[in-house]
Amino acid sequence: MATPNRTHALPATVGDLLRLRTIGWREALEAREASILAVLVVMGIALGIAYPQFGTLDNVDNILLAVAQVAIVGVGMTMVIITGGIDVSVGSALSVCAVVVAMRIQDGAGIPEALVVGIAVGAGIGLVNGLLIGLGRVHSIIITFGMLNLLRVVSFKLTGGKWLTGLPDTLNYFGSGTLLKLPFAWWIAMAMAAVATYYLRRRPTGRHLYALGGNAETARLAGVAVLKRTIFVYTITGALVGVASLVFVGQAGQVVQTNVGYGFELDVIAAVVIGGTSILGGKGTVIGTLLGALLVGTIRNAFVIVDINPLWADFILGALILLTTALDLLRRRGRET
Amino acid sequence: MTDVVARRPRVELPWAPALRLLLVERTALLVILLGGLVAFYASTVADFFTFNNLAGSTAFAVEVGILALAELVVIVTGRGAIDLSVGSAVSLASVFFGELLTKYDLSLGPAVVLTLLFGLFLGSVNGFFVAVARLPALIVTLATLFAFRSLALVITKAVPISDLPPRLYDLALYWHGIPRQTLLVYLPVIALVYVLLRFTVYGRHLYGLGTNALAARFAAAPVVFARFGAFAISGLLCAVVAIVTSARFASARPDAGTGLELQAITIAVLGGVAITGGVGAVPPVVIATILITLVNNGMNLAGIDPIWQQAAIGGILIGSALLNSFALRRYRLS
Repeated sequence: MATPNRTHALPATVGDLLRLRTIGWREALEAREASILAVLVVMGIALGIAYPQFGTLDNVDNILLAVAQVAIVGVGMTMVIITGGIDVSVGSALSVCAVVVAMRIQDGAGIPEALVVGIAVGAGIGLVNGLLIGLGRVHSIIITFGMLNLLRVVSFKLTGGKWLTGLPDTLNYFGSGTLLKLPFAWWIAMAMAAVATYYLRRRPTGRHLYALGGNAETARLAGVAVLKRTIFVYTITGALVGVASLVFVGQAGQVVQTNVGYGFELDVIAAVVIGGTSILGGKGTVIGTLLGALLVGTIRNAFVIVDINPLWADFILGALILLTTALDLLRRRGRET
Repeated sequence: MTDVVARRPRVELPWAPALRLLLVERTALLVILLGGLVAFYASTVADFFTFNNLAGSTAFAVEVGILALAELVVIVTGRGAIDLSVGSAVSLASVFFGELLTKYDLSLGPAVVLTLLFGLFLGSVNGFFVAVARLPALIVTLATLFAFRSLALVITKAVPISDLPPRLYDLALYWHGIPRQTLLVYLPVIALVYVLLRFTVYGRHLYGLGTNALAARFAAAPVVFARFGAFAISGLLCAVVAIVTSARFASARPDAGTGLELQAITIAVLGGVAITGGVGAVPPVVIATILITLVNNGMNLAGIDPIWQQAAIGGILIGSALLNSFALRRYRLS
C-alpha cells in the first residue's frame, strides 16, 4: 500500500490543536476532539441561556461527579477498543468491586486497604477476561458478555441480595471531595489519562496496541506480543474499574446495593466511541474519551434540567453511538478511495 | 526458510476418532450431554421425569428457542455478525402489540400482522446500519439494545399493559399436557427456519456469505440483501416471541425481553454456531435449547436460588465458546 495510514501514525489531540500551525486546519477540523469540544460549548451556552440553573457551578459539579467513574474506566476501555476488542462486563465488575470495597470499609478498613482491595479485585477480574480472550481465542464480546452475567451473580451472592447500609464515610473524599475546585475523582481520571496518553503515543508497547487493532495478524508477524498486550489491556481496564469503585462507594454515601453499575457499560462505551475511538480498532485517543464522558454527562444532565423523561436518555445515547460510528467509518472510506 | 523443522508425528490415540466425532459433530455431543442431564435430574430431582413436567417446560423453550434461531440466522452470515438487541426488540414489540390491542382497540388478527411487520421493521433498522451502511453489527445492535429498551419504557412509562383480549391467552393453554405455543408456534418456526437455511437459495447465500463474503460477491450472491435480510428475519422472529410472551404473561411488559439475549446467544453458541460465521445448523440449536431449558427447569424443581441459573448460563456461554474455538482450530473447520 502506497498511501500512508495517517490515522495510525498521528491521532490529533488537544495538544496538537493548540499548535494549529503544525497540524493544519483540515486536520484540526477533522479531529474528533475539536468537534466534541464545539458541541459541548454550543450545548453548554444554549442550555445555560435557556435554563439558568444549568450554568451554575453546582450543576457543573453535578455533571463532573456523575461521569467521573465513566471517565476513569473509559481510559482503560479506550485501550481495549483500540486493540479491536470490547469489554461489556465493566458494569458488573464495578458492582463486584464496590460490594467488596464497601464490605471492607464496613469492617473498618482505611483508604489504603480499600484502594488495594478494589484494584486487586478489579485487576483479577480483568485478568480472567484477558486470559480467556487471549488464550481461548474467542471474540471478546462473547467472553465479557458471559462474565457480565457471572459477575452479577457473584456480587449478588456476596451480599446475599441485601443492601449494605450504615457505611462509614472513609471514602467520601474519593466520591465528592474537591481539589482546586475540581472534583478529586476528576484529578484521578486526568492523571490516568495523562499516563495512558504518554503510554499510547510514546511507548513502543503502546504503539503496539494500535498495530494490534489495525491488523492483528500483521502485528503478530511484525513481532507484537499479541497475547501479552491483550491480557494487559483487559487487566488495566479491570484495575481502573477497581479505582472507579472507590469513587462509587464514596458517592453512594451510606448505602451500596447489588444493582450497582447496571447499564454502566453503555455510558463507558458511548464515551469512548463518541470520543473518536474507532470500534474497528487501530485508532483513538484517551483525551477524546474524557471529552466523550463529559458529553455523556451533559446529555444525561440536560434531560433532568429540561425535564424530559430521563428514560429517553438511553435512546439518545444509542443513537449518538450509531451516528458517530457511521461518521467515523464514512471518513475512513473517504480516505481509502 | 531453508530448514523446515519436521513436526513430531502426532500419535493417533485410540480414542481420537471418538473425540473428533464429539468435537466436530455438535449434535452427537449435545445428545450425550442431554442424556446425561436427564439421567442426573431424573435420579436426583423428584417430579422431573414426568410427562407433564417435560412437556410443560417446553413453554419456556419457545421464547428462547425462537430467539436462538434468530441468532443462528444472523451469526451465520459472519464478519462478527451478532444481534444483541433481540431482548429489547421483544420488549418493544410486546409494548407495540399491547398498545394496538388496548389503546387502538384493534382485533387480534390485524394486531398480530402489524406487530410482525413492526418486528420486521426493527430488524431492518439493524439490517440497514449493518448491511447498507456497513457498520459493525456489534456496535449497531448494542446501540439498538439500549434504544429499543428505552423506547419500550418511555411508551409505557414502565408500566405493563394488561387487559389484553382474553382470546389471546388461548395461545398459552395446554393440549393434552403440551403447551399450545409449542405446537402452534415453535414447531412451525423450527420447520420454516430449517427449510430456509437448508433448501432455499437465499439460505445457502447466508452460509456462503459467512464463509467468504468476497467469494460470495464474486459468485454474484446479493451480499447486501442477504445480510440485510438476516437481521430483518431476526426482527420478525422477535415479534413472534413478543406475541407468545404477551399471551403467556397475560400482559404486554416493557421488560418482557430483558436478559433473553444472553440465553439466545448462549444456546446458539452451545449449538455449535461459530461466531466467525458460515458454521451452524438448526437441529443442534434446537437440542441446545432443550438442554438449557431443562437445566433451568431442574434447578427450579430442586429449589435452587434462580440467581444460579444466570451464573450457569453465563458459564455455559464462556465454556462452549472456548470449546467451539478449540474445535475449529484443531480440526481446521473454518
